[in-house]
Amino acid sequence: MAERAELLQGTLDLLILKALVVAPLHGWGISKRLRQLSSHALDVGQGSLYPALYRLDERGWIKAAWGISDEGRRAKFYTLTAEGKKQFAAERSQWRHFAATVELVLKAT
Amino acid sequence: MATWMNRLAHRLRALFARGRIEHEMTEEMRLHLELESADLARSRGLAPDEARRQALVAFGGVERYREEHRDARGVRWLEDLGRDFRYAVRSLGRSPAFTLSAALVLALGIGSTTAIFSAVDAVLVAHLPYPHDEQLVRIFEQNSPTNRWNTSVADFRGIDAQQRVFSEFGAVRGREVAFSAGGEPRHVDIAAATAGFFRALGLTAARGRLIEPRDEHPGAPGVAVVTHDLALRELGGADAALGHPLTIDGTPYTVVGVLPPGIHDLAGVRSDVWPSLQLETPTRRGPFSLWIFARLKDGVTLDAARRDLADVSTRLLAVWTSDFHDASTKLTPYRLRQIILRDAPRTLGLFAAAVGLVLLIAVANVASLMLVRVTGRSRELTLRAVLGASRGRIARLLVTESLGLAALGAALGVVLAWVVLRALTDLGPHIPRLSAATIDLRAFAFAAAIGVATGALIGVYPVLSLFRGALAPALRSGEREVGAGRGTHALRGFLVTAQFALALPLLAGAGLLLNSFLRLQGVDVGFDPSHLLYVNVSLPSAAYKDAATINTFWVRALSRLRETPGIADAGVNTDMPSDNAGNTDNFDLLDRPVPAGTSEPVSIEVNADASFFTAARIPLLEGRLFSDADSGAAPSVLIVSRSWVRRFSPDRPALGRQLYQGGSRGSGSATTIVGVVGDVKYAGLAGGGEAMYNAATQSRMRDANLFVRTAGPPAEALERVRTVLRSIDPALALNVGGTMSERVYSSIASERNWATLLGGFAIAALALAAVGIFGMLSYLVTARKREIGVRLALGARRREVLAMILRRGMTFALPGAALGILVTLLTGRWLAAILYEVGAADLSTLTAVTLLLLAVAVLACYLPARRAASVTPMEAIRDD
Repeated sequence: MAERAELLQGTLDLLILKALVVAPLHGWGISKRLRQLSSHALDVGQGSLYPALYRLDERGWIKAAWGISDEGRRAKFYTLTAEGKKQFAAERSQWRHFAATVELVLKAT
Repeated sequence: MATWMNRLAHRLRALFARGRIEHEMTEEMRLHLELESADLARSRGLAPDEARRQALVAFGGVERYREEHRDARGVRWLEDLGRDFRYAVRSLGRSPAFTLSAALVLALGIGSTTAIFSAVDAVLVAHLPYPHDEQLVRIFEQNSPTNRWNTSVADFRGIDAQQRVFSEFGAVRGREVAFSAGGEPRHVDIAAATAGFFRALGLTAARGRLIEPRDEHPGAPGVAVVTHDLALRELGGADAALGHPLTIDGTPYTVVGVLPPGIHDLAGVRSDVWPSLQLETPTRRGPFSLWIFARLKDGVTLDAARRDLADVSTRLLAVWTSDFHDASTKLTPYRLRQIILRDAPRTLGLFAAAVGLVLLIAVANVASLMLVRVTGRSRELTLRAVLGASRGRIARLLVTESLGLAALGAALGVVLAWVVLRALTDLGPHIPRLSAATIDLRAFAFAAAIGVATGALIGVYPVLSLFRGALAPALRSGEREVGAGRGTHALRGFLVTAQFALALPLLAGAGLLLNSFLRLQGVDVGFDPSHLLYVNVSLPSAAYKDAATINTFWVRALSRLRETPGIADAGVNTDMPSDNAGNTDNFDLLDRPVPAGTSEPVSIEVNADASFFTAARIPLLEGRLFSDADSGAAPSVLIVSRSWVRRFSPDRPALGRQLYQGGSRGSGSATTIVGVVGDVKYAGLAGGGEAMYNAATQSRMRDANLFVRTAGPPAEALERVRTVLRSIDPALALNVGGTMSERVYSSIASERNWATLLGGFAIAALALAAVGIFGMLSYLVTARKREIGVRLALGARRREVLAMILRRGMTFALPGAALGILVTLLTGRWLAAILYEVGAADLSTLTAVTLLLLAVAVLACYLPARRAASVTPMEAIRDD
């Protein structure tokens, strides 16, 4: 159970970083973008986004700042830091390697 | 590194800006829900309520994510801590007897340690109240590592003309004089100082001015600076004090300045009045009656100053060849701090060691109590574990409880520290600057730190036993004793042994000091203090200008006193037995001069009249006392003490030998020894008995001590003596006065207080060790009740059971005592310096305290042993 949770958590972090690569977004924006990117196939628990955002902020991968959203609302925007970009690249290659390996195993007869 | 810092910043923010983060989180989540419901309403055409419901579902439980968010912030531990703390308070509150006794034991250790910390902080760590106190020095004459003395006017002039290392320096001369601020004259110690002294210390006056160079010229009007205290007490306040006339030694002075409040001494010299010091032109190298203080120039080291002063000394030797020949004597600077603190580092070190031992014993004691407690609670803790509490969680409970206990101990300890510090200040041996010590914030912080360390120490073993899985079988077997495995017993035994090992050095130290004190008390002071009164008398130099007027006064006063009813005899001298030798003098035997370039021997020098010896009942051993024939015109005569003869004239009869006093070979006439008297203690009861007596009639005795032997109780005669003296001269300054018995008694107050204080610590330590072993054996007996019952049923005798438990107790106490003896022998030399005629490894003292320790141990073991022996087989079986 612990491993699954960790895997999910790790994946969520990677997805958040991906969502922020293009431009800074606020919480709901990230959630919306992830749904768009996955064509609504990925069911990211929307609430679980926030603890994850805090964690990433604490690690210094993203930076939070209050601003005004497109909807004209005060919102907290998250930006990818330089370190975050590096982390994203690393995690992405890790994920690809992992997925490819799993795929390899599954393909074997 | 950067990440780590980032995290720390986040954690700190999480902790301190908790409210704001909480608010931001709520805001953020609310916005999310609003945007999501608006989006749902737009894209799927839902009603607002339905959209909101679906948004909430998609979000997945606001409260849950809030919790998770908090977890991610690491705020949880704070809330858990609160819960643990409440648990600890409840749990400790359930056994108030345990909690209170453990807290009191810890308070004893923490409190006494905190008190000594404050003392060390104030005395050893704090700076002297002068800017850059590390630059301040006092200069001595010194000719061997152990022999140094004051400086002279010739030295002062020499330093003034030649030195290159001091930015400021000045001289002080202390005197006992008749002082009056308008009222009745008193006999007080005052210090006269030059302007440089105040400048070297970096002082400024609170009112008026300090002494300035123009005040030092001969013939300049007499001016004085006074302390704020004196101004308030006698001169009508700091402002009114300026311009106030004073009479010092019969000479008029004017107050020109008042020192800042709170100053009672300057550079360690206590005086309420600081008149200007006008130095005379020197005619010889001595007399050495000046204290020189100086401030090193920036960047000049003490070594550089020492070299510079050595050069000055060499040149001075060539200038004053008539009376000073000792080439090994150098002017030597010492740091002022070192001079003021004297042996305070050793004194406080000794106290610190003593309280450190008490603290360790207290910790061992409570740690052992905690072991019993965790054993007794093994069922409860196991239940918690079974119900799902993680080991970490239970460990935290135990640690919080230990820390809570230690916190209680520390809180009580701070109160106790205040009491101990007061006792130390009021009763303890004199420690310079100790009065400045307070239980301040630093002391609180110290107590807190010791509390945390203590809490960790007493909590560590219960936690360890938890992780070793000692709890697991408890539920399964349903036995009461499972937690108390072999390891726990061994550890308790070790803790008991440790307490004995730590208590013995304390007992030994107290025993040695007591022994030393008793010996001091038994020292023959050399005179008969019962029915002997003393009064200090100062004859103002203005009215008593020469030896003749002074002598006339004493002859009159003594004969009038002898005629007074109730007074058997009266005499006069210049040095107070038993601990205030005022003067020492160097001398050179006529028939055996010291080799050129070496120093002359030094001895205590006292001026006295013949009746001083009879009134004080000092035996005449050889020759004669002074007589009326020994006038100022007659050849000068000397009486010496028996120890003086033994040391300085061991191979030849002393009577008739001649010597030059005060380095007067070549310039003065020799003095002849006419009598030998018994030894009198002048330099403390532990001091030697060497003394030389000059005839009162051949010296000036302006500041003297009158000794009166009374027929009845001495205290009653004191007022009569004062009345007689006042009737001869109402302007006399009479001071102090009292009985010699009291004086001798108070001269060893310091030793008595040492022994008392250390004795108090030792008794506390002994009591703790006794309670420790008693507790352990009691527990053992209860635990083995069934076994004992079975043994008894099988025919074991009660005496055997008693012996078995006693033996068991002794297996812990004996190694402790042995270890303690070892520690005492290794550390004893610390004490050696303050012991009188007792070795630090004194066999009888060590034997006595070891026997005492073991006797207490046997007694503490006997009670549980007797209980064990009275177990009945039925009771043992039924009880389970």
